[in-house]
Amino acid sequence: MTAPRSLETVELTKAFGGVTAVDGATVTFQHGKVNALIGPNGSGKTTFFNCVTGMIKPDSGRASYRGEDITGKAPHKIARAGIGRSFQLCRIFPRMTVLDNLLVAVRAGTLKSQLTSSRDPEEIERARGWLQRVGIEHLEGIEARNLSYGQQKLLELAGVLMADPDTILLDEPAGGVNPALLGRISALVRQLNAEGRTFLVVEHNMELVMSLSDHVIVFDRGRPIAEGPPETIKSDPRVLEAYLGV
Amino acid sequence: MLRLLALVAGAGLILAFPALAPNPYILSAGVVVANYAVLATAWNFVGGFTGYMSLGHVAYFGLGAYGTGLLITKAGFPSFAALFAAAAIVAALTVPLGIASLRVRGASFVIVSIAQVLIVLLVFQSWSSFTGGSRGLVVPRAFPDLLRPEHHEVFYYLFCALLAAALLAWWAIDRSRFGMGLKAIREDEDKAQSLGTATSDYKLIVLVVSATFTALGGGLYALWFGDLDPIFQFSILTSAYIVLMALLGGVRHLFGPLVGALIVGCALEYFKVEYGSTQLHLVATGLLLGAVVMFMPDGIIPACSNLAARLLHPGESSIREVSAAELLETEARR
Repeated sequence: MTAPRSLETVELTKAFGGVTAVDGATVTFQHGKVNALIGPNGSGKTTFFNCVTGMIKPDSGRASYRGEDITGKAPHKIARAGIGRSFQLCRIFPRMTVLDNLLVAVRAGTLKSQLTSSRDPEEIERARGWLQRVGIEHLEGIEARNLSYGQQKLLELAGVLMADPDTILLDEPAGGVNPALLGRISALVRQLNAEGRTFLVVEHNMELVMSLSDHVIVFDRGRPIAEGPPETIKSDPRVLEAYLGV
Repeated sequence: MLRLLALVAGAGLILAFPALAPNPYILSAGVVVANYAVLATAWNFVGGFTGYMSLGHVAYFGLGAYGTGLLITKAGFPSFAALFAAAAIVAALTVPLGIASLRVRGASFVIVSIAQVLIVLLVFQSWSSFTGGSRGLVVPRAFPDLLRPEHHEVFYYLFCALLAAALLAWWAIDRSRFGMGLKAIREDEDKAQSLGTATSDYKLIVLVVSATFTALGGGLYALWFGDLDPIFQFSILTSAYIVLMALLGGVRHLFGPLVGALIVGCALEYFKVEYGSTQLHLVATGLLLGAVVMFMPDGIIPACSNLAARLLHPGESSIREVSAAELLETEARR
């Protein structure tokens, strides 16, 4: 029996002018696991992320999710296919309340449901559940711009979860976050993973990567150069060379 | 309850205006202001919800006006059938125009929207065999038996009815999931898309709604004024006034554009009477726009409600400071 398929890319390429940011990247992420994507600055991790989530159209190559082709599809379609993402520099809706930030992610398929009130009691309960889960339920009525950076990070995560994705892409969840909050975020990732959500984490904090992930993929110059469990990756000479220059 | 009372009082005052107007000239100025209120409220479907600052809305206004006039004079439509048919045509035209212009954001969108106005202006000026060009297009009167003052009064109420419909639609969208998606676009379009909002469709739909109301305002103007000239019907200045009104009143508020239209509209009419022969009214408008952007970026309604809150509850400072203090407190408790 083969494991269910998750996110896969084949020969994915994206160039900006003369710079090939993602260069024929063929990557298979493991379903139901915490996958980490590491690599030096400028190795194409974020561009790869953006290609996979439809924010950028790749020049060539393919991306698929659970066997379904998602190459070049609009971001909202990819989101609806079950992939949620956070942004490198935390992005929220600054002039909406914390609760409304989550209610944006409510799916509305039919015209009738589009025109129903955005404050559906059931959805509000669900949103409160997620706010409680990340620990900012006491802030629900406050405009998001008044939150601290750490709280905004938690809010962004809650918003992504509100859309109920099977796979969650986190772009530098540890960036600009204090150690206590980092502990909270990684505990959350572990819990959510145990509940069956697949994670794909781009991160520079090696300690976090090694403690959190089941499978590590190392990027250098736009393509994977090594992959495997964290223990193996730690001692891989190619990784040490690309990453640490030793 | 207080809100409902204020709403009823405001509506009553607006509806009583024709009875209070001392002469037909003032009444006709009221029609102009009511027309501005319709246009500013219609603009706010796009500007207020999505944050796309269109300076091109006068194109939909002019197309609605000319569509109505031409359908009556060239195709023999009855006046009000022509009005709605013209609005439907404008709505259909907005689809390709919107698909093209909504691809760009921010300042680029503003420039594209201006270009649209200039293109239709050129077409309507140079295609004079059909549109009458700068010689103008005379639109037959909808109610030939009415005297001037009665004519103004009827159209004043027609504009008010259209305004009510636009406000109702804005209110309905504001509270809906569709509206929530539009506001998310205003805040962060990429983010909204990454959460599953079909942003392009949302923007296009709301632009069509906005253009349709604007075209109805234009058509009604054609039936009221009875004489169209491309240079006035497709004037960027009108677009700028509409944007100024909405910003002045407050684009995040249902009644913001209406309040802005009352203030700017009355000021414009006054300036025209006092300094009509000079260009001073333009200077005044420019100064007003600058002042609004600098001192009341959210508009008059939020500025006044903040001020009222401070006067009524002098112990508390602004909402924002309170919440920041609360944040510190709750963080400390954690």
